[in-house]
Amino acid sequence: MSMRSYAIRRFLYIIPTLLGISIFSFLLIALSPGDPIMIRMGLFKGEQSEYEDLYEQIGFEIGLLDEDGDRVNVAVRYLRWIGLMRRPIEYQTDALTGEQVYAFSGILQGDFGRSWHWTQDGKIGKPITDIIVSRMWYTLFLTAPAFVISTVLATVIGVVQATRQYSIWDKGVTLASLVGYSMPTFWLAKLIMLGSFYMFNFTGATQGDAFREPFILNPKFYVFLILPTMTLVLTGLVFLARLTRSQLLDILRQDYITTARAKGLSERSVVYKHAFRNALLPIVTVVGMALPGLLGGAVMTEGVFGWPGLGSVFLTSALQRDHPMMMATNFIFGAMFLIFRLLVDLSYALVDPRIRY
Amino acid sequence: MATVNETSVDREARILEEIKLVEGSNLWSLVMRRMRKDSMGMFGFYLVVFLVIMAIVAFVIQQYDALFGLNNPTGDLWDQNNYYIEIWIPGTEKFLRIMAHPKYIIPGDQTLSPSAQYPFGTDTRGYDILSRTFFGSTFSLVLGFVGQLTTSTIGVIIGAFSGYYGGWFDDIVQRINEVISAMPGFILFIFVVAIFRDSASAVPGGIYMIVIVVFALIGWGGTSLIVRSTILSLKNTEFIEAERALGAKDARIIFRHIIPNSLSPVIVITTLGIGNTIMTIAALAFFGLGDPTAVTWGDDLSYHRDNLMTYWWMPTWPAMMIFITILGFNLMGDALRDALDPKLKS
Repeated sequence: MSMRSYAIRRFLYIIPTLLGISIFSFLLIALSPGDPIMIRMGLFKGEQSEYEDLYEQIGFEIGLLDEDGDRVNVAVRYLRWIGLMRRPIEYQTDALTGEQVYAFSGILQGDFGRSWHWTQDGKIGKPITDIIVSRMWYTLFLTAPAFVISTVLATVIGVVQATRQYSIWDKGVTLASLVGYSMPTFWLAKLIMLGSFYMFNFTGATQGDAFREPFILNPKFYVFLILPTMTLVLTGLVFLARLTRSQLLDILRQDYITTARAKGLSERSVVYKHAFRNALLPIVTVVGMALPGLLGGAVMTEGVFGWPGLGSVFLTSALQRDHPMMMATNFIFGAMFLIFRLLVDLSYALVDPRIRY
Repeated sequence: MATVNETSVDREARILEEIKLVEGSNLWSLVMRRMRKDSMGMFGFYLVVFLVIMAIVAFVIQQYDALFGLNNPTGDLWDQNNYYIEIWIPGTEKFLRIMAHPKYIIPGDQTLSPSAQYPFGTDTRGYDILSRTFFGSTFSLVLGFVGQLTTSTIGVIIGAFSGYYGGWFDDIVQRINEVISAMPGFILFIFVVAIFRDSASAVPGGIYMIVIVVFALIGWGGTSLIVRSTILSLKNTEFIEAERALGAKDARIIFRHIIPNSLSPVIVITTLGIGNTIMTIAALAFFGLGDPTAVTWGDDLSYHRDNLMTYWWMPTWPAMMIFITILGFNLMGDALRDALDPKLKS
């Protein structure tokens, strides 16, 4: 099978899996106890009598009730979310007849719906796409540099450890990585905050002026970026360094490395040309699978530092029962995970020429 | 020449000794012997043993106190005067006062830094932190053990059946597995727990029951995949064929032969997973999704997470315990993996 047909087949295979993910999460959320309309009504201020009228109105707005005030079937809601059935568009009435507009607006049309928790002027929910796109940059500015730094550092540390096995460096780093491996992320973040507080009188907990727009030109933003980045680098580093070390040690024990040494090649070329390239395969897997985590993998770090990125959005949406946001999260992360797994599988062929599809 | 002879004689003697030891000993004594050579692994093993003993002792003492405690002869949980954990010495009227009760506060003793009376200090509510840490070990470890063992058991059974029978059952399991593994683990965990915890909080301990159920339902995939692949390779071996020819039922083949033979990777995953489970559940509590009424390290840590700058002793001890537990299980798991699979050992 050629590479292209393999890629196409795998890509088509993503679709049923995504369908499964969306059905699974939709059922789970639909089965959950509690009345989302009541939770959403908590956002409004008003008199008791107003609340009774509001109930049907809000229920209709968020798509749980139809125009007569009856519950909408789960299957209908799912099909509307997917975009295979027309759904009422919020606050849009036909100019001529004054009737509610119904249209196809779902995942297939690129619309994730409106949030139930984040609202514009207290009434209509913000579009989820807008929330995710606006918060995404905060998270990416935090996680992408941290990811690059930790990958590079981890590879360097792993190679140094493997080439100098049982030296004091190796033992010291192994011990340190064991400690780091067992340290819960949220606690590590707290300790970094504490250390920074005693040394620089700066905790790194974000304040309002850190995110004044445009944040790219705001020097305060970069100051607040330092500590969360450090946390992410340290947590990401440990696992990858261990993996690199054990992989490289495995390879360095192979016969063909002995052959390469016997040929009279320099140690440098043995390690970097013969051993390291062969040790890359599992490392590429781990790095590739960590890429989707760039958007949401920093939930703990963001939570501790109060970073207003996507992780905080997901945490708040879970606590506030923001069902459309939760659905969007599951769907987007599922899609990214599957796509990156495909890319990783395809990249094997680039790293290791023996692999054919 | 003499040195050469000595070394070869030594080596021969050592090999003979090893063969004598190996003879007649089962896998587990072999594994234990290999583990003893690994000092870090044994350190982790002793840490785990220490923690488990501590949890059991804490549980026994607390039950004893609830039954025979001073000022609480009826064992009434709402007796506000049961300030201390006391051991009644049978046959006398004497009580041995051990430490403050983890669930009752001593009025006036709030926010005391570590001292002779309270070696770990007291917290903002007036609880003795040493007592909270000691008695919290029971529930914290039980959560980790039960969560991981449930996950592993489900994984082993599903993996065994889907590997052995194959066909449509295997197909369905693999598709479900794919769907679950593609979803974001920790975020999904938070979502499901957040959705269901309100209705569960009516039952005492219900929140953590939900946490464990959700954890097991999300996490069985990895174990089942490993068991399945082992079984696919075992299925066509001669001894299974022989067993089948003797007329054994499928259930007997699966539970008596296939599962025991594919158990060693599962044991490694489970050991490493217990530490991970404890960390995940503590993280859940840290973000406010734990059970504030329970005495666990995670909940204490989450209650005091903002006190690190002002009252350092409040969050530090539970966090230390979580750290030690995870370290112990990680060291032990690594050593077990090396001992079970000598090929991998460096």
